[in-house]
Amino acid sequence: MDDLTFLNQIEEISGEKISTCYQCYKCTAGCPVATEMDIYPHRIIRHIVLGDREKVLKSKTIWTCLMCITCSVRCPNDIDIAHVFDTLRKVAVMEHMEAETDTWRFDKLFLDSVAKHGRLHEIETILKYKLEKKDLFSDTKMGIGMFLKGRMGVFPHNIKDRKQLRKIFKKIDSK
Amino acid sequence: MITLTYYPGCSLKTSSKFYETSIKNTFSFFGIELTELNDWSCCGASAATTIDEKLAYALTGRNLAIAEDVGYHLFAPCSACYNRSKVTNEKIKKDRVLRDEINETIYPLKCLGTIKVKNIIEVLHDHVGIERVVKKIAYDLSSIKVAPYYGCVLTRITKMDAFDDKENPTSMDSLLWALGTELVSWPYKMECCGASKTLTNKDVTFRLSNIIMEKAQSVGADAIVTPCPLCQMNLDLLPYLGRTDKNLPVLFLSEVFELALFGRIGGMSSHIIGVDGVVKKVKKK
Ligand code: SF4
Ligand code: SF4
Repeated sequence: MDDLTFLNQIEEISGEKISTCYQCYKCTAGCPVATEMDIYPHRIIRHIVLGDREKVLKSKTIWTCLMCITCSVRCPNDIDIAHVFDTLRKVAVMEHMEAETDTWRFDKLFLDSVAKHGRLHEIETILKYKLEKKDLFSDTKMGIGMFLKGRMGVFPHNIKDRKQLRKIFKKIDSK
Repeated sequence: MITLTYYPGCSLKTSSKFYETSIKNTFSFFGIELTELNDWSCCGASAATTIDEKLAYALTGRNLAIAEDVGYHLFAPCSACYNRSKVTNEKIKKDRVLRDEINETIYPLKCLGTIKVKNIIEVLHDHVGIERVVKKIAYDLSSIKVAPYYGCVLTRITKMDAFDDKENPTSMDSLLWALGTELVSWPYKMECCGASKTLTNKDVTFRLSNIIMEKAQSVGADAIVTPCPLCQMNLDLLPYLGRTDKNLPVLFLSEVFELALFGRIGGMSSHIIGVDGVVKKVKKK
């Protein structure tokens, strides 16, 4: 008998009935970045069913996904594939198998900004990201261009009730 | 006169400030009053769901709870904010376990899912209506050919009904038609612009946005029209992302309203790809 632990784990965390997939390829056919993936979306679903934990968690695919939800609204079995990929990212990070770190790094900095100010402070977040990447100048021209058009926020956007917001973040952390 | 609670989200206060101005110009003309959601916080966009779903629900739940307290429907012009808020609101309404969990996290605030979350197209359809739009236009836009571009997440809402067809929406088309523009038919209405990857994987954003721009050009459009600030930005950034060919202006839906009602666009100078060519085509009726 196949090892179903991986399937059960991902089905439980995501709440998606992955095992109902009948490999119709519809998800892959509509994916705008399928050509950039190392494993096609429908194959990822199949590998989960087969219990290929490492193959799935180490794949580039789950980080290439743009979360455009095309696959999810088209799946005849109502599997929210984008949501499954979101779940796989979390598990990959938890188990130290992530194939790419930029997306996760940026998402974390984004949320740091929200935790601190209540809203996204664009310039601060982008600079931090670029510092972490040790790549401060690659998009300077674009940044200046946007700034001149008034399209880059310089000042932080603090909300008033930051105390409550910190409480929300803390409560979630301790769960 | 109708009042809505306005949830600007981060981009309408920073990179797309001129979208806010243009929405306000349009809405006040039709007697729609907006009161900004008091002390709103970021909805977490796609970052929160990736890091921790519970956090995503709590962040959005906080805003919904404040809005519910006031009682007006919530208007969220950014497609990502709209999607997050709509999904969370429906879940709060239907899933008791999740509702309790969210409410425990955002205590002393409380949310039951009693208000409706609306996007700009819905507001214009529900509270203005096509007939009134047709009656009020003062400028002739018939020489402007537009490509309606909805972007990926506005109608793609999983496991629940959306306000329009999830794969082939037409509600913005009817508004643009009522405004007197000529519409092109093209298969890229919903294609993804690469939104979330602008910083982390610029090549992907460039490739996807470039295809959309190219396609709109090849079908003879004069402008691309979108309701989404992220789509507008990615397409408008194409000259910086490396595109050397000619670009089409990328207008917000409300800017086409400004053209039809007042013959000009308030936030013209904020566009990276110039819009003067389109504005020049506008004639007094
Ligand atoms: S669209 Fe759904 S059923 Fe079809 S292959 Fe993809 S996941 Fe499986
Ligand atoms: S959500 Fe991800 S996997 Fe699905 S179609 Fe979009 S990019 Fe492809």
